[in-house]
Amino acid sequence: MNPIGRRTLLKKEIHRFLRVPGQTLAQPVVTTSLYFLVFGFALGGSVREIDGVSYIRFIVPGLIMLAIIQNAFLNTSSSMFMMKVQGTVVDLLVAPLGTADLLIAFITAAVCRGLLVGSIVWLVAAVFTGFSIAHLGWVLVFATLVGITFGLFGLALAIWSDKFEQLNLIPTFVITPLTFLGGVFYSVSMLPKPWSTLTLANPILYMVEGLRYGLLGTAGSPPLVGLIVTGGFAIAAFALTWWMLATGYKLRS
Amino acid sequence: MPAAVETEELTKRYPKVEALRGVSLRIEQGEIFALLGPNGAGKTTWISIVCGLTRASSGHARVLEHDVARAPLDARRQLGLVPQEINFDPFFTPREVLRFQLGYYGLPPDEARIDEVLFALTLADKADVNARELSGGMKRRLLIAKALVHRPRVVFLDEPTAGVDVTLRRELWAYVRTLRAGGTTIVLTTHYLEEAEELADRVAVIDHGRLISLDRPSALLASHGRRQVLFTLGAPIDRALPEKLAALGVTVDASGTQLTCPLRASDLSTVLAEVAALPAPIVDMRTEQPSLEQVFLTLTGGRA
Ligand SMILES: Nc1ncnc2c1ncn2[C@@H]1O[C@H](COP(=O)(O)OP(=O)(O)OP(=O)(O)O)[C@@H](O)[C@H]1O
Ligand SMILES: [Mg+2]
Repeated sequence: MNPIGRRTLLKKEIHRFLRVPGQTLAQPVVTTSLYFLVFGFALGGSVREIDGVSYIRFIVPGLIMLAIIQNAFLNTSSSMFMMKVQGTVVDLLVAPLGTADLLIAFITAAVCRGLLVGSIVWLVAAVFTGFSIAHLGWVLVFATLVGITFGLFGLALAIWSDKFEQLNLIPTFVITPLTFLGGVFYSVSMLPKPWSTLTLANPILYMVEGLRYGLLGTAGSPPLVGLIVTGGFAIAAFALTWWMLATGYKLRS
Repeated sequence: MPAAVETEELTKRYPKVEALRGVSLRIEQGEIFALLGPNGAGKTTWISIVCGLTRASSGHARVLEHDVARAPLDARRQLGLVPQEINFDPFFTPREVLRFQLGYYGLPPDEARIDEVLFALTLADKADVNARELSGGMKRRLLIAKALVHRPRVVFLDEPTAGVDVTLRRELWAYVRTLRAGGTTIVLTTHYLEEAEELADRVAVIDHGRLISLDRPSALLASHGRRQVLFTLGAPIDRALPEKLAALGVTVDASGTQLTCPLRASDLSTVLAEVAALPAPIVDMRTEQPSLEQVFLTLTGGRA
């Protein structure tokens, strides 16, 4: 264990995304604000309420979750992949940083970025929908746990990827579709039969519903179920990245 | 005193090549040790295993008695590495990079130390510019600064002077000697044999993943080096060399104008008299002192 080393790496990772705020902070805010405008205001008129909540309030937790997932994932995946391409990953590999040091630093930075962007999105939305939060504890639990999970997945993907295309594979074909189909913009109960059942197999649904419960106090699935699903994914992602770093998979030939 | 670095029968098999075929080396503390060998000989592979970047297929490697496979963090804490490939992070300045580097080794911030290293590597005036704006040689010097800032006890320099200009190269040699005077062990690879001759206490030559020679430069020169005289004649000699010259070991090249004559201390005047007696005029003459380059070419069969 190398606490100073770990803190240094964390600081460096945070510097990295703060140094280009236009790309790391402003861009997701603009994107989510656009979703908010288009889906919430423009199209939201036809769907007045879902489960007793106005549509515009209904989509806020989903948009925040979208921001956390994308940002936590992007922070670790782009950082690790760039280090591999630049060759600077050697600096970390020859330094006396253990597996736990590396994981804690990378994941804390990813969670910071996820929570930061998530909070900004919430602030933007709150201006229109109000600042109340039903269960702050659940909000923090879900936001953090999802940040950790996707930070870990991002790290694992970057370690595995040899080419830039591979790095884009999972976000484009798995994460983005699952997020959009994961109850961000609609409730599962609104879908016809085979689709609603299929959607129940989508893990991101439970993360979105968990955050929705925390923010609004009502959701399509109980928070405990969300916690179990999210926790399970976090553990799987943790085991995968731990194994990669501990064995030197693709990093130490 | 424990060895600074010790490897026993180190092997590394890649799917297509055997990069190391059992290299055993013991490098003492406070030594400047040069690792020579043609491209692809296995020098970087050996260094990478010792620094924990690559796993050995078999054999052991220790840094100051810490086994690199069993106690990797203890081993890595002792060392600094200048990798062969230049790397840099365009997000940060040399000063920031050195701060991070100190931190990675568990050391508290130390601006005085950072300034000292930046100064020693002539980077002081570039301390706060983006790494992207450094020239190739400056980037390599930043790599060296990074490898030294945490005062490692063993430093690995994998071609530290490739692309560094002559003046700075000499300054760097002086700095390496200063480091050694302070007790640091230095292991370097280079393709500039003059560098090894000038700096190294001992030289190991690796070829095809095997250690083929290990000695002090002076001993290598004495056992493998040759002094020779080279003559260029104004016209080719079209018949066989006179017997006396052939007996002295003189050879003539295909063009018939280049004579090479190995030299022992006593027979220079005989050689001169015999060559002068040839029908063709001598247009040039030079003597060649034994050099590590010559030794290297002899040992590796002519591939530099
Ligand atoms: N990651 C790798 N995968 C497969 N083969 C490799 C790898 N790294 C090195 N090799 C092979 O191992 C052999 C030794 O390479 P190494 O880099 O150790 O040589 P070197 O002595 O440092 O050469 P140079 O003077 O060119 O730097 C070469 O045949 C090389 O092709
Ligand atoms: Mg090499």
